[in-house]
Amino acid sequence: MFELPGAAIGGREILVLEFGDIVDYFTPYTACLFAFALVFTLLVILARPERQVDIAFGGDAYYTKEVQEKEFRFQRFMAIACGFATMGAMASGDVFNFTLFTSMIGITNIGIVAAYRIRHVLDAAFQYGIVAMVATVPLFGGAAITLATTGTLSLWELYRSAVEVPLIARAFLVLGVMGEGMAPFYIAKAEITRAPGAPFILMIHVSSLLIFLRVVEIVVSM
Amino acid sequence: MAAEYSLGLLVAFLGIVAGFSALVRERDDLHRILLTDLAEILALAVIALIATDLAEALILPGLVVGISELMAVSEVYILREGLTRQPEQRVRIEVMESAPPIIAVILVGYGIVLSGFSGGAVAALGVIFYFLCRGHRERFHAIEVASGYAWAIWILAFFVFMLLPAYWFFAVMIAGGAILLKVMAKMALVGTMRGGSNV
Repeated sequence: MFELPGAAIGGREILVLEFGDIVDYFTPYTACLFAFALVFTLLVILARPERQVDIAFGGDAYYTKEVQEKEFRFQRFMAIACGFATMGAMASGDVFNFTLFTSMIGITNIGIVAAYRIRHVLDAAFQYGIVAMVATVPLFGGAAITLATTGTLSLWELYRSAVEVPLIARAFLVLGVMGEGMAPFYIAKAEITRAPGAPFILMIHVSSLLIFLRVVEIVVSM
Repeated sequence: MAAEYSLGLLVAFLGIVAGFSALVRERDDLHRILLTDLAEILALAVIALIATDLAEALILPGLVVGISELMAVSEVYILREGLTRQPEQRVRIEVMESAPPIIAVILVGYGIVLSGFSGGAVAALGVIFYFLCRGHRERFHAIEVASGYAWAIWILAFFVFMLLPAYWFFAVMIAGGAILLKVMAKMALVGTMRGGSNV
């Protein structure tokens, strides 16, 4: 019943999940991305926070930091939520759900970063939060312009060659996803990778990489 | 699309441009939070001006996303600036001692007359005002109990609608009263948000 037009660069659909109006689907491309997100979510669920070692330069001394699992409960929760949001964004069959999952990724990323009580990390989390908030403007704006010009948000309709999505809507979508997936850049700025709790931070990188890949697929196919 | 909508879109876009340029210039972090909130509201205005059912469906999640991000960022800001200290002494204002019972009674009474959702909101305003002015001690339990019973009564009204549709008027009155209680109980909690040990 549902068939992707040939223009979709992700390939033919291999599985279609129908929830009323909401029709999710997997192509070979999105299935790979989905599996990647799933594997990382499982890793986050199973992994223990890493023990961190600081080496003092100019000598043999090193510090090991004691890490309690209790401290990372919130981060772990946020990382798992981020994984689920990423999986949702990978599988979603309409722009509506894609934008919502993307902004949820943004929120959970703020949560992961903000769980540290270190000042420069909080500084970076704040800057990132501002960017993520501002990015919802082009993100939802792009969805709104798509809706206004084509009358639908379903990718099944938008992928048809007869339906022309304006360039500005595509640009806004990409811009919005860039803002929401900006976290890794602030991670570098915060040197947050020096903070303990590595497996959970990786979720930020994974989720932003995956939503970039998905939005490129959507924008090129539209 | 009607001409008014296009005009409205133009105005909203101009507002977004103004908001973003202000955001670029602003250096104070607190002001930047407020400006981002402003930009989000303008984005909602753009969505609203498309004026279809689907656009309407986009507004609510957009609003929720905006509010949750705003709360997360403000929490980060509070932590970062270390603004967690309680005020030592509150301002004493005479009218805040004497006015609450009278105004609260008037608002709650009028809310009961209105009943339903709007009545709950009006009555809640009275309760919020009372709690804000007079403080609150150990009143959470009563609020929670009232809210729980109101929910149960509300569900009961729905069962009456489904099983005994002939008694719809009875069910409407029950549901109206229960939603009044429920909204009032929920919103009254806002009045207790002034810090303190049990919040």
